Amino acid sequence: MAKYGMVIDLHRCVGCAECLIACKSENNVDEGIFWSSAIRNMSGTFPDVKYEFIPTLCNHCEAAPCTIVCPTGAMFKDENGLTMHNPELCDGCQACLEVCPYGNISYNENAVQAFWNSEKAAIPEGTATGRELQELTGETIPYYNPDREATYDGIRRPGVVEKCTFCDHRLRAGLEPYCVEACPAKARVFGDLDDENSEISRLLKENQAEVLKEEAQTKPKVYYIGR
Amino acid sequence: MKLSRRDFLKSAAAAGTAAAVIGVSGCAQDSGKNKEPGATNAAGSSPETESGKDAEIGTQPEAMEGNPAVKPGEGGKWVCSSCQGCTSWCSVQAYVEDGRVTKVKGNPNSKGNRGYICPRPHLAIQQLYDPDRIKTPLKRTNPKKGRNEDPKFVPISWDEAMDEIAERMMELRNNRESHKFSLWKGRSTGVADVFYHAIPAIFGSPNNYGHASICSEAEKLGAGITEGYWDYRDYDVMNTKYFLMWSTDPIASNRQVSNIINHYGDMRSQAKIAVVDPRLSATAARCDEWLPVIPGQDGALVSAIAHVILTEGLWYRDFVGDFKDKKNRFIKGETVAEEDFEEKYTYGLVKWWNLELLDKTPEWAEKIAGIPAEQIRRVAQDFAAAAPAATSWMAPGVAMQVRGGYIAMGANALNGLVGSVENIGGPNRASGAPVAKLPDTSPYTDEIAAEGAKQKKIDHRNDIRFMSAEKGKIHKNVVTNYLADAILEGDPYDLKMVVSYWNNWVYSCTGADRWEKALAKLPYFVHITLNPSEMSQFADIVLPASHPMFERWGFVTNKQDLHTYVSLEQPVVKPVWDSKADETEIAWLLAEKLAGKGFPALLDYYKKEFCDPETGEEPADGQEFGLYVTKYYTKGIWMPEEKPSGDEIGGWEEFVEKGIWNSEKMGYQKHWDDFGTATGKFEFYSETLKGMLEEHAEEYELSVDEALEQLNYLARGEQAFVPHYEEPVRYGDEKEYPLIFSEHRSRLNREGRSANTVWYQEFKFADPGDEAWEDVLKCNPVDLKAYGLTDGDRARVTSVQGSIEVTVKSWEGTRPGVAVKCYGQGHWAYGQVAAEDYGKKIPRGGNNNEILPCDWERLSSSTCRHGGIARIRIEKI
Repeated sequence: MAKYGMVIDLHRCVGCAECLIACKSENNVDEGIFWSSAIRNMSGTFPDVKYEFIPTLCNHCEAAPCTIVCPTGAMFKDENGLTMHNPELCDGCQACLEVCPYGNISYNENAVQAFWNSEKAAIPEGTATGRELQELTGETIPYYNPDREATYDGIRRPGVVEKCTFCDHRLRAGLEPYCVEACPAKARVFGDLDDENSEISRLLKENQAEVLKEEAQTKPKVYYIGR
Repeated sequence: MKLSRRDFLKSAAAAGTAAAVIGVSGCAQDSGKNKEPGATNAAGSSPETESGKDAEIGTQPEAMEGNPAVKPGEGGKWVCSSCQGCTSWCSVQAYVEDGRVTKVKGNPNSKGNRGYICPRPHLAIQQLYDPDRIKTPLKRTNPKKGRNEDPKFVPISWDEAMDEIAERMMELRNNRESHKFSLWKGRSTGVADVFYHAIPAIFGSPNNYGHASICSEAEKLGAGITEGYWDYRDYDVMNTKYFLMWSTDPIASNRQVSNIINHYGDMRSQAKIAVVDPRLSATAARCDEWLPVIPGQDGALVSAIAHVILTEGLWYRDFVGDFKDKKNRFIKGETVAEEDFEEKYTYGLVKWWNLELLDKTPEWAEKIAGIPAEQIRRVAQDFAAAAPAATSWMAPGVAMQVRGGYIAMGANALNGLVGSVENIGGPNRASGAPVAKLPDTSPYTDEIAAEGAKQKKIDHRNDIRFMSAEKGKIHKNVVTNYLADAILEGDPYDLKMVVSYWNNWVYSCTGADRWEKALAKLPYFVHITLNPSEMSQFADIVLPASHPMFERWGFVTNKQDLHTYVSLEQPVVKPVWDSKADETEIAWLLAEKLAGKGFPALLDYYKKEFCDPETGEEPADGQEFGLYVTKYYTKGIWMPEEKPSGDEIGGWEEFVEKGIWNSEKMGYQKHWDDFGTATGKFEFYSETLKGMLEEHAEEYELSVDEALEQLNYLARGEQAFVPHYEEPVRYGDEKEYPLIFSEHRSRLNREGRSANTVWYQEFKFADPGDEAWEDVLKCNPVDLKAYGLTDGDRARVTSVQGSIEVTVKSWEGTRPGVAVKCYGQGHWAYGQVAAEDYGKKIPRGGNNNEILPCDWERLSSSTCRHGGIARIRIEKI
């Protein structure tokens, strides 16, 4: 039992979006769906401007409204504080999506991986198609990461919602969430909030931390420092 | 009863606030379907107590079972290679699972990028598996060439393709026209010369051309003529106390991106960072001082900063020296007697003052550069206060301008003033790497080859209008962007055949329309490429290249974080399609075909000179050739005759496993006793440049002043040898084209080759001000209003050069009067993602090079894309 959380240090973050792309790579996230994204704020008037790039992901809220409104129990809190989703129970009602104050839940409406199902070649016989790559590699996505299917649909079925799981499949194997590992700025720290000696607890003690939309009172477990 | 979304929203409204609804608990506790959530009974209760209750009750969720056979992180193997998505050339590793690449990371054995990467290598995975890659050799069946002609490509075998190419080459040789064969390269690896140099040399042509001068040669000029180092500098960022960045955006692009991203948090904590850039770049958005200079006016800032440093007595005396009587005579408007100042490691400080700086006050610069005098003064003071741990860090933006040579010179001269050159916390040099040179080709050349190689190069590097300085020599540097003109003018003669690889000059060169016309005129064109690029549309034969990061042997040499390194590229997976490595496998196939047609010299050279260093075996095929070539070049690392000063590597297998050789850390002040300039000193007054200019002028029997006029510089007399301000060149009348156009780079560009990946498009918003799947022209809201536009409108952008259509973006990150746009979108070919419609050749946005006119910084022959060279007008469509 742990209480997992993440700190994103915006002083270290350079806004490169590598975490967002790495998330797509690790979790086989389809085009148009984002388990992690960013808030971009531009304020002020030239030349006195302030630009912010704040990476976002599921906040794994302690009081997660998505789990509360879910009529089927598909969205739930697990024993480590992760907000989890069971696609087998999900009926696609999207109540969770509507109630999430952060817009971090996506609905997979279309046929999965339309890009890779395409049979249209740029140059017939000269260039390939997504379908040919599927046949060649034997995978729906040529660079499909099988690790994801350890705990979840490796590629999500249509008609249900999906979102960040803090890479629970990696946590189970003793690895950090992939966005943490991939961040070249070392701006992300993941750990157990209940462990006083953890790096994340130390950072939260030493820094003034913020959460997004605190007023929503969802008790997010993704904290921002250095803003 | 199931709660529909509508029901939920209603109940939320009934509860009064969303926060109250959060208190609703229960539904997560039981995973049974059709569970009715108690939506209303908890309304009004406090969220805090309710969530506390949640924790007390606990949850008994039903998680998905998943696939227990999968063990994350254990299914595959990390294999080393290198990323050439920008000029950093980081050492990387690819995760290979069942013969597929599934992810990438930095090579932990690297001391330069230290296991970190930027976003670019991730995009390389989508490049590797891009459905729009050329999968087989193609032959054009429509003889008409042009953007609006369908080439009607049909697949052919490698054998047919190479036979046809060799046949064409032999025709030239038989007609004693071997010089009318030309070989062009864009990006390349450390083994490039095997293809790029050896083939023209042995076949008999002087016409091999690289891309260097469309990249950043003017930047190298700046360091070359001041400190005798004709190269990019390395940086000691963890010891630097002040960064003055000239158009440098190192957390996003060019150079050392992964290294700097990783250090940047500490750099921000330990140093002050000032960024001179017309637009709010990624780095400018995270710095202490943004100086949004009017494009092209950087030189005024250089002079004013130097003026402040001298008048306020802030120069670094241990490097520069001092007045003999220690009394500062640098007083505004007053000349100084040279004999009053005693320099230490520098040359010409007083000349610089007298010729340029004495009246270049911050107040003067404010009017020209659009930066408040107060800010200029503060930056100069803070920069100098950090001496010698103060780095003036130049990037191509300030250098690649028509009059950018002197800005580059000035930006580097500031490092002289604060004594940071090769110092702790300053810009430094790299040590050498123990890699081999191309074996001598001359024993393999015959009379025809010798005659052909003696013919004049067609790129006009010897022209009166180009000094073409490279590594201290004039008329040496390639004038890449002149090739289109040379072909169109047929001057000095017509090329009959070009083989070109890893480049897309129809897209990447300014004045792009000239390239379309030139390639349409060229009788026979072979393009070696990953994707069907703009350049490929003009090809008679298209050959599919193997991906350099994943599918072939090679290596790169570079420097980061004060380490030189040699990083291997290897076939981490089998080629996805029937592709081959451009520089080795295709070279080999061509050599075989030429031998079969009675010209064996090239194949002899390849066989005899590139035996396996371990076994002495000759290569038997193209793949072996690729491997042996890589082993030949790198044997000084893994089979050294003497111990290299750096990593010790026990053999080839160990090198393949580690993927990299790192030098020892570069020492400081290694060249202070002799910088390698004409005087051996750090030259504020460049005798080095003076010598070259005099040589150039003499060749054409001109005075230096007349030569400067030909080179399109305004300086006359002695001023030409010191950094000085010159008015920038702009194309287009201000009345007709009221806005200055300024372009920049993307942190997701793999040198203009990644726009066909979905991740590039989806995350394009990572470039400040840009939008996903868009190519936006970022304009100050004041300008948009003036031209009747609003954010998101489509607009036509027109310069004297041409016209493109884009989306406009309202953006406070640029000044009124300056419109900025990223390079990288606007492909009308390349694939079905990059182009809005590949079949109809409709671009996604517009290519900047269609509105940027072609002109040069003529000391180095660099192509100019910066400094606001183009004025534009924008109209709603």
